[in-house]
This record gives sequence, C-alpha cells and structure tokens, in this order.
Amino acid sequence: MAQYLLQTVWLVPCYALIGAVVGGVWSPGIIRRTGPRPAGYVNAIMTFFGFFHSLFALQAIWNQPAQQLSYTWLNAAGLNLSIDLELSAVSIGAMLLVTGLNLMAQIYGIGYMEMDWGWARFYALVGLFEAGMSALALCNSLFFSYVILEILTLGTYLLIGLWFNQSLVVTGARDAFLTKRVGDLFLLMGVVALLPLAGTWNYTELAQWASTAKIDPRVATLLSLALIAGPMGKCAQFPLHLWLDEAMEGPLPATVLRNTVVVSTGAWVLIKLQPVLALSPVASAFTIFIGALTAIGASLIVIAQIDIKRALSYSVSAYMGLVFIAVGAGQDNTALVLLFTYAVAMATLVMATGGIVWNNITQDLTQLGGLWTRRPISGLCFIVGALGMIAAPPFGSFWALLQLGDHLWKTQPWLVGVLLTVNALTTFSLTRVFGLIFGGKTQTMTARSPELNWPFVLPMTILAGIVLHVPLLLLTWNLLPNWANFDIAIAGLLIASTGAGYYLGARIYLNDRWPKPVQFNKPIQDFFAYDLYTAQLYRITVVFAVGLISQIVYWIDRYIVDGLVNFVGIFTVFSGQSLKYNVSGQTQFYALTILSGIALLGLVVSWPFLSHLSLIVGS
Amino acid sequence: MQVQYFLLLAAALFCIGIFGLITSRNAVRVLMSIELLLNAVNLNLMAFSNYIDPQNIKGQVFTVFVITVAAAEAAVGLAIVLAIYRNRDTVDMEQFNLLKW
Repeated sequence: MAQYLLQTVWLVPCYALIGAVVGGVWSPGIIRRTGPRPAGYVNAIMTFFGFFHSLFALQAIWNQPAQQLSYTWLNAAGLNLSIDLELSAVSIGAMLLVTGLNLMAQIYGIGYMEMDWGWARFYALVGLFEAGMSALALCNSLFFSYVILEILTLGTYLLIGLWFNQSLVVTGARDAFLTKRVGDLFLLMGVVALLPLAGTWNYTELAQWASTAKIDPRVATLLSLALIAGPMGKCAQFPLHLWLDEAMEGPLPATVLRNTVVVSTGAWVLIKLQPVLALSPVASAFTIFIGALTAIGASLIVIAQIDIKRALSYSVSAYMGLVFIAVGAGQDNTALVLLFTYAVAMATLVMATGGIVWNNITQDLTQLGGLWTRRPISGLCFIVGALGMIAAPPFGSFWALLQLGDHLWKTQPWLVGVLLTVNALTTFSLTRVFGLIFGGKTQTMTARSPELNWPFVLPMTILAGIVLHVPLLLLTWNLLPNWANFDIAIAGLLIASTGAGYYLGARIYLNDRWPKPVQFNKPIQDFFAYDLYTAQLYRITVVFAVGLISQIVYWIDRYIVDGLVNFVGIFTVFSGQSLKYNVSGQTQFYALTILSGIALLGLVVSWPFLSHLSLIVGS
Repeated sequence: MQVQYFLLLAAALFCIGIFGLITSRNAVRVLMSIELLLNAVNLNLMAFSNYIDPQNIKGQVFTVFVITVAAAEAAVGLAIVLAIYRNRDTVDMEQFNLLKW
C-alpha cells in the first residue's frame, strides 16, 4: 500500500488541479443561487488528500534511496523532452510542506474570505499554485521547472489581481508579473544555453556533468548569471524586489502562501542548480553579494514600514537573501533547512497579523496598539512565529543560521557579520511590529477587537505548534548540527545579536514612555520607508528607457515606415493629377507633341550617324 | 547645284511650315502651313527623283499624287473650318480647347 502510494505520488499536483477546476463551478456566473462556499470546501478537501498522500509517500521513501520516474512529453528531431520526477525524502518532504501550508492557508481563507463572493476564483488560483508548487518539488528537470515557474508567474498575476476593481491591485499585479517575467526570461536564456553544453536538463545528470565539466570560465559565468536571474526575480531579491511589496495588495491568505512557499520556488530551483552555479566562482560571489545586499537592505527597509503586511514582506526578501548566501557558499542542505524553518515561522506570523487586519480593518501600524490583553492567541502565535524565524536557541531557524554561520566563519568570515546584522535587524523589526500591535495604548481602531473564530485560530495555532516542534523534527531527521564540531562562539554571537535586536526593539517599542511615532533622521527614515525609492528608480531607468524606445519605434513606424508607403500612393495620385494637364485640348499642342516625339525618335535612331554629319557638311 | 541644297531648302520650308502650324491662331493659316509642309515634301520628292532616279522618275509620280491628295485635304480642311465657324463664330485655334483633361 505504501509503495503504491509512493509510486502514485505524482497524483498530488493533480488533486489540487481537480479541486481548482471543480471549485471553479461555483463561480458567481455559473452557479448563481447557492453562493461560492463549496469551492473552498472542495479545494480544502483535495488539498487534504494531497497532504495525506504525500505524508504516506514520505513514510514509504524515508531512509530509502531516491527513485526516478520519467515520462516522455515530446520527442522530436533529436530533442527528447521527458518529464523527470524524483521521489526522494527531500522532494516529497517539500511537497508535504507545500500541501500542508496550503491546507492551513485554505482553511484560513474560509474564515478570511467570509464576506467575499470570489471564492471560486480565489480557490482555483490557490489550487493552481498548490499544483504548481507540488509539481515543482517533484520535478527533476530544469526545463519543466521553468515551465512550472512561468505558470506560477501567471498565477501570481491573477491571484494578486483578485480584487481588480482596486487600482493599486492592478498596478501591483502588473509589476509582479513583469518583474518576475524578466527574471524568468533570463532564466530561459540560461536554460536554453545549458542544453548544448550539458546535453541534459535533468538535475541529477546536470550535477554529474558539472562535477567533471571543463568549460570556458566566461561561458560558465554568463550561464550561471542567467540561471541566477530567474530565482532573483522569484525570490524578490534586489533589484527585482518591488513586486513583493506591491503584491501585498492581494488577498491575505494568498499572502501566507506567497511569503512562505511561492518565493521559495525560486530558491528551490537555485538550490537544485547549485552544482552548475559552482562552476563559476564569479557567479557564486554574485549570488552571495546579491543575497547579502538584499538581506541587509530589506531588513533595514522592514524597520521603516508602517504597513503591517509590508513590515513582514521585506523580511521575506531578507531571508531569501540568506538562502542565496547559503547557496552561494555551497550550503545546499542548510538552505533547505532554512527554507523549511523559515516557511512555517513566516506562515504563523502572516496568519497572526492577518487576523489583526481582519477585524481592526486598518493595516497601519501607527493606528494599532494595546491588543495583547484581548488578543492573546494572535499575540502568542506572533511571538512563536518570531522566535521560529530569528536565532533564538531552541527554535527552528537558530539551527539553520548556526549551521550557515559556522560554515561561513571558515570560508568568508565577513558574511557572518551580515548574518548577525540581518538577525539583529529582523529581531528588532519583529519586536517593533509586536510592540506596535500588541503593546502600548489602545487606539481608536483597536478600541474593540475580539479574538477571531475558529477558521483563523485553528491553522494559526496548528502552525505555531509545528514551529514549536521544528527543533524536535530536526532532531529526529538528524538535521541538527553535530555537537562535536560546531563553534560555540558563533552560537554565542547569534544569540547576542538576537538579544541586542530584542533589547533595542523592546526599549523603544515596548516602552510607553518612548514618544511614538518614533522620530529619527527624517531623510534616512523616508529613504527606507519608501523602499530606497525603488519605484522611482524603476521609473527613471528601465521603465523610462523602454517607454522612450517604444515611443521612438512607434514614431518611426507611424511616420517613416507608414510614410514611405503612403508617399508612394500620394506621389502616384499627385503625378496623375498633374500630368493630366498635358491633355491641353489644343490641337496644335498635340501636333507639337507628335512632332517632338518624331524628332526625338529620329534623333535617337540616327544618333550613330549624327557624329558623321558634321564631317559631311564640313567637306 | 547639288541634291543637298534642294533637301536643305525643303527642310527649311518644312520647318517654316511646322512653325506656322503650331503657332498660328487662325485655322486657315494652319491649313496654309500644312500646304507649306506638303510642298516641302514635294520638293524633296522632286529632288530625289531628279538626282537619284532620273530614269523612272517615280518621285514625280508621287508628287502628282501628293498634290492631288493635298488639294482634296485642303478642301476637306476648309469645310471643317467652315463647319466649326458656323457653330462657334470664330476660327481662333485657342478657342477650340473643349476636349481637355
């Protein structure tokens, strides 16, 4: 039975797709009378099936060697496109995480979308995401990973644009699509360029090829940079990070997914490509540089945000930056562990804050406050999520960060500084968000704020429980660092940075005597509050350049190309209109024309003889 | 006396005829110019007949025909001029430009 479930684990993405399609029937245009709720239930049930299917499959594959499945998709003219699947503990574990988080987010959505009619569309898109991410987890082919990433990009566009009557949603969805698309297109260049070099798109074979490949360093660098560009856009890394900020206009249950697993799709591909990227030292350095830049920059931006959702979304970029650093340093397993510990923690955080938004309406942190006594469950979940994300010893991410720091200390010590800074800044920002929401005095918007009903609380508390169990899970999976050889100093530094961040945050934001809103150097505060003015930066660089070029091309097309053809027509009309005056109506003029014609013809015909004429006359 | 002089004279007469044909405003003068052209042709025919073909004098026969046809043509031409004159009360060539563009 277990083997059968393992062999059919490729059905998991199909469950989600079936749920999406069947749920679509409750679209308001099709079933007009009974409301959209069954769409959500159908999707949640299908996700539930998918979750348990992957759970049993994981048990079957546990401690077993990875299995490969392959189906031919297209075989034409020497190009064999086969859908390669890998059934390993890691891939099915990732699928379990995806389906589990989807299940939580869909149950959360049942509560959150209570007053909404768009369940069919919402759940269909979430189902599409679930299918895409599960398929990506199983997929062992770069080509099909790319295909899935592109489908997910389209899904992102549609999901962010769920409430398209809001203008900010429309621009946000546009930016999310285009930004991610640009990265994906670079990735496509890399994917296409990789085939002639490696002869395969299978990740396993790529790794084998990369271990012995000898290619021109420049080719390797360009190839790796193209392959990094895709995940850079997907993971909202600098400079392709603005879309995640604007994606916060979408519905919140989708944000749960986006902040946890959707951005991780890019990191997943990056981790799988690590052997290829390792061919080029420049690319590794670039990955680390981008990761470090994003991690520091985004953690600084996050501190200056006053929007509750955006105050978490930049942490997503920051943690994906840490994953980039890990991949650049060749720490695949650490990156995977970090993705796992981070995803559950971030999901808890987003759910906890989403509940606050749901019944306090405002997302403005400066208008919230004093909720701790009345919203203990949300508050506790927030604390648990925060602890799971930062380097707080027994909790999840501490171990991943410790492993990463330990490795970096031996290779690139300065990156430990980045790690510590990001950890301290994230701790500070999470303390700040906590202080602004739960601490301080009650404000108008939070005067009456009841705790939420079960669809919110259930997934939130389950996830908080999982976050609390992450260390035990890591222990049973033998993923904790070996006690014998890890550096106690790094652990001390990490804890110290967490402590420093917390101390500073608590001193400012858990302290009623500190004046709010906190005033700091105004230009710097604005600089980070407006995300380093990225929107303006896009507008004066890429958007301006593309806009200008399209205007010029339009002008050339409109006036020069069209004009040339129109000129031919106009010229013909003009010549006809003017040459008709040759028919003057004067008989004598016709006679003159005839005689001129004859004279001219005579001249031409007798031209060879005319040269002799003068001789004759002369003699 | 050479054939060239006759030919040049005929050509000159022809050119004068052409000039008259194109520039005259009076329709009758146009007909007169045509007569000049025909006479220039006749001169040519006579000259060639005299200098090149003195035995058979085919040119002279041609000339007789040309004179005959020219007379007929002048008669028809004058008739046309009269017909136009009856309709339009003028023989000014510049008034006869109804069939333009």
